[in-house]
Amino acid sequence: MGRVKHPGPGFLPFGLAICLIILSLVLIIKSWKGDVSLGPFWPQRSWLRPLLGVAFLIFFALVVQWVGFLITTFVFLIIWMGVIERIRWRTIVSISVGTTVALYLIFRLFLEVPLPMGFFKW
Amino acid sequence: MFQGLANGFGIAFSLTNLTFALVGTLLGTIVGILPGLGPAATISLLLPLSFKIGSPVTSIIMMAGIFYGAMYGGSTTSILVNIPGEAASVVTCIDGYQMALKGRAGPALGIAAIGSFIAGTIGIIGLTFVAPPLAEFALKFGPPEYFALTLLGLLMATLLGGSSIVKGLIMVVLGLLLGSVGLDPISGAIRFTWGFFMLQEGVDFVTLAMGMFGIGEILINLEKELTTELVTRKITHLWPTLKDWAESKWAILRGSFIGFFIGILPGGGAVISSLVSYAVEKKFSKHPEEFGKGAIRGVAGPESANNSAASASFIPLLTLGIPGNASIAMIFAALLIQGVQPGPFLITEHPDVFWGVVASMYVGNVMLLILNLPMVGMWVQLLRVPYAILAPIIVLFCCIGVYSIRNTVFDIWVMGIFGVIGYFFRKVGMEPGPLILAFVLGPILERSLRQALLISAGSPFIFFSRPISGALMGFLILYILVQIVITLRKPRVGEN
Repeated sequence: MGRVKHPGPGFLPFGLAICLIILSLVLIIKSWKGDVSLGPFWPQRSWLRPLLGVAFLIFFALVVQWVGFLITTFVFLIIWMGVIERIRWRTIVSISVGTTVALYLIFRLFLEVPLPMGFFKW
Repeated sequence: MFQGLANGFGIAFSLTNLTFALVGTLLGTIVGILPGLGPAATISLLLPLSFKIGSPVTSIIMMAGIFYGAMYGGSTTSILVNIPGEAASVVTCIDGYQMALKGRAGPALGIAAIGSFIAGTIGIIGLTFVAPPLAEFALKFGPPEYFALTLLGLLMATLLGGSSIVKGLIMVVLGLLLGSVGLDPISGAIRFTWGFFMLQEGVDFVTLAMGMFGIGEILINLEKELTTELVTRKITHLWPTLKDWAESKWAILRGSFIGFFIGILPGGGAVISSLVSYAVEKKFSKHPEEFGKGAIRGVAGPESANNSAASASFIPLLTLGIPGNASIAMIFAALLIQGVQPGPFLITEHPDVFWGVVASMYVGNVMLLILNLPMVGMWVQLLRVPYAILAPIIVLFCCIGVYSIRNTVFDIWVMGIFGVIGYFFRKVGMEPGPLILAFVLGPILERSLRQALLISAGSPFIFFSRPISGALMGFLILYILVQIVITLRKPRVGEN
């Protein structure tokens, strides 16, 4: 940490930690005094859609390396729009195809990013 | 200076740079119009691309275009849907929507676009003339001055920005702590890596920004159904009448200057300037009762102010190397990615970057005027694209973007974690803007603090004894005192 005369690597983090303690205490006291209005954290099952979003993101990260970019992207779009939202299936499929192709063109061909391709080796 | 500007126009008018300026302003207009996706999030989405775009000028031209372009687009949604397209257009809802209800959507959109153009251009003229002498002046700054400036910037950003000062300050402290992960730049000690080798280089800015802004914003928006109902489909009489013009011309000019001076301030930006401009217009109007019922000056003033503030907020970035808000912090990071150190040496060491970007902003404003006046009807159709379709595409863009930087799925996981954290931060009313700003400013703050204390052999008086840093610190303390007095007096006002 060092001293004020010769501040070391822990100097600023130590000071910041003290600030953080003080600020947290202020926030806690404020909430005790009822300054902070509290509603239900997740009214009416509103946690569901963000949770699904995170789940699909995890799915993407888990699967993309094995199955490859094209299929994973397409499936990701289909299930996201199909499960989270209610849109006509024809719209979902056409948007999924279009987006997959567009992302492939942008990242693979235009920016030359080595995307994981899975079964497709071209 | 004029030599520089002429060279800048030479750079800006190259085919590549014109194309990217157009792409930037187009994207800016689009994200400005779309509620739930702000310029900061969009620039963060495009940060991975800045590794791939060859020259620094080109990528900064595009990102700057997104930032000031969003200021144009934001008004459209405010006026037609009564939802701000982005944060700096919140006040435009008040009178803009009322005008639309009265069938005057056309003049409201028209005056917003024209005001934006005039103010944006005034802001860039200011940038052209103020930046070079300011950068020269900043060459005299030593560690104490930098410490005072960054501290002032961080505090102003929290005090002016969020609803709760305590929560804002917590975000700043967390951002500074996150910024200190990795190798200590002075002693080389390893901090806060908990044995993870990947963390030795520190938390990656792009991953953090995409998580907090990209993924975090999507997750919070998933909770609510964003429905956009347009007041009117037909937009006519875009060109304001002589009467409208007479009423708004001074509002536009006042807005331009208010925006410019607030934009220069550390921590200042487009959002605050539009609020101030609205308050000023209402205060000095002969008919304050018209405000809230469709006063055209209530649209012209704030929409002008946010544009000139957007231009002006490039001044602290390009001359001092100190970004004032989250979007500018992203551009700061993009410059670093490209190997350009923002600061007082930028104009002399990279004149092509500085003058190229400045010149492109003149051009970009003309593009935006064309995009937003005759073509506004086309953009309005964008509001019919449901968020349901945009959300998964944006998430995918984040995933592939963050993957493309180091070609590892590990970064997708890190981004996802930051996204969930960002979601909960928003959930408890802590805006991640100050965190991002503090993350970027952290290393500057720490280095200048420790260097200053080494110079003064541990005496904190070094921050007060030198004229420039003394003045800044004095202002800082005065500002905090005023703020404390206001806070302490608030309950009494409430009792009355």
